[in-house]
Amino acid sequence: MLKVENLARYFGGIKAVDGIDFDIRRGEILGLIGPNGSGKSTTVNLIAGLYAPTTGRVIFEGQDIQKLLPHERANLGIARTFQNIRLFGQLSVWQNLWAARVVRETGWSGLKQRWFSTATQGKLETEAYLEFCGLEHKRDQLAANLAFGEQRRLELARAAISGAPLLLLDEPAAGMNSEEIDDLDQRIRKLRDQGKTILLIEHHMELVMGVCDRVVVLNFGRKIAEGKPEEVQQDAQVQAAYLGSDSDDAFMQAALQA
Amino acid sequence: MDFYIGLLQVIGVHTLLGLSAWCILHTGQVSLAQGGFFAIGAYTAGMLTAMAGWSLGPSLFIAALIASLIAIAIGFPALRVKGLMLVVATTAFAEIVRLVFFNLKWQVQTPNGPIGPDGGLGFGGIRYFPANAWSGLEILTLIWCLVAGVMSVLWLLDRSRIGTLWRAVGEDEVAAQSAGINLTAAKVSAFGIGGAIAGLAGGIFSHNTTHIEHGNFTILLATFAIAYPIIGGLKSLLGTLIAVIFIQGFLIEGLRFLGDWRSLLFGAMILAIMLIRPTGLLSAPLRLPLFNSKKNAPIGNAKTGAHHA
Repeated sequence: MLKVENLARYFGGIKAVDGIDFDIRRGEILGLIGPNGSGKSTTVNLIAGLYAPTTGRVIFEGQDIQKLLPHERANLGIARTFQNIRLFGQLSVWQNLWAARVVRETGWSGLKQRWFSTATQGKLETEAYLEFCGLEHKRDQLAANLAFGEQRRLELARAAISGAPLLLLDEPAAGMNSEEIDDLDQRIRKLRDQGKTILLIEHHMELVMGVCDRVVVLNFGRKIAEGKPEEVQQDAQVQAAYLGSDSDDAFMQAALQA
Repeated sequence: MDFYIGLLQVIGVHTLLGLSAWCILHTGQVSLAQGGFFAIGAYTAGMLTAMAGWSLGPSLFIAALIASLIAIAIGFPALRVKGLMLVVATTAFAEIVRLVFFNLKWQVQTPNGPIGPDGGLGFGGIRYFPANAWSGLEILTLIWCLVAGVMSVLWLLDRSRIGTLWRAVGEDEVAAQSAGINLTAAKVSAFGIGGAIAGLAGGIFSHNTTHIEHGNFTILLATFAIAYPIIGGLKSLLGTLIAVIFIQGFLIEGLRFLGDWRSLLFGAMILAIMLIRPTGLLSAPLRLPLFNSKKNAPIGNAKTGAHHA
């Protein structure tokens, strides 16, 4: 569905992402993990079009999307959430969802939806997603006044309502307690069952290992492993990246002696 | 009586000006170019009636159209700058417009002598209203019909798709983009519509005063334009109107008896308003029920402050 080819992004001398390849297959939940600063969020921003890559390409449904702006990519079918939640704070919960839904309506139908009708497709869908994020009773509250967990749920629903088949979730579990993470786990599975394909960027290993079909591991901007969660867990390089390793010590010692 | 009619005319024109800034502020952009668009509308409409002999309606339409097109042209480069940089860029534009009119000399001969912009001396003899024997009350009615019309259109716009998208862009550009909203279209359309309203207001202004000059369109005017919606509160259109009545009616005219102390109190009152109601006079919860349809209310129950980006 989405293919990343030799993708790289340098910030000055820092190689945030340094030539990675992977693909996301239709209908799967792909985990993208790695230690802090390994290039996960940069990868998401490259796919979503917020950054231009230094080299490499992103191919979505067989189409090179390098020249497309972020909103064009969203309309093509790539929706996302943000690591540090970005809602429309001074808009109501309902309007947050509506804004992402109504953008799909062009011309007259969009205007008609708002003015003349009580139960059009767009409104029904907005109601459905309001229910999905469990915020029906807070529909008229400002998004900025929601609790943290609710904001995360709303942001997830806002990405889902855009109708995009591919969702990029950038650390959706950050700052959540274990109960909320279980809840998130259920919602992610529900979205997959609705036919969404999901790229899950996450630190929380339990969530990743539980929900993902495959996992890609990054370290220092490079892909160091890819495979089923249990395979990846056994991978020596991955363990080294997360826990440090003897070989690192050996390298350091060699460096000091030289 | 004439005094009150004159005051209500000023309030009407300034309400239009405030509404033009309201559109652009909605998308999170602070534009000080509104005075420039206003000036373009004022000179265009004045030249069409006084020099070309057009009637008022088409002149106002063309004035709004030209101001709108220029606003759109300004909107595109303005996409590249945000926040304070946009304030500086739009200020520069407004000054360019003012200086163009300061230097513009283009007069035509009429039976009543030469007429047209005369550089620093200004552009006098825009005598459409006196020539057609309009009374002050009739002019007043026209102004307020236009205010009502523009407000209705903006009210519908605010409740429509485009209003939701403008607000979303004003809240968070990156999130709006990622939700599929075209930033360019949202911001430029706000500039275009805001420019048209400012141009219309300018056209009325020049006919009402019959004499305009570059000094009418200084940065002070643009400051007023953005002050109205900010003081009134961005969440409702009526806030802008109430802010204009408060500033023009109460602070500027109502406090005249204070003499020199007026200016001092003027500033202090504005500061006090911003302290007491930081999101504007008509921000929640003092909102009018008219603007709060039960379902999908455009407004929540904000208790806290700033309209954050």
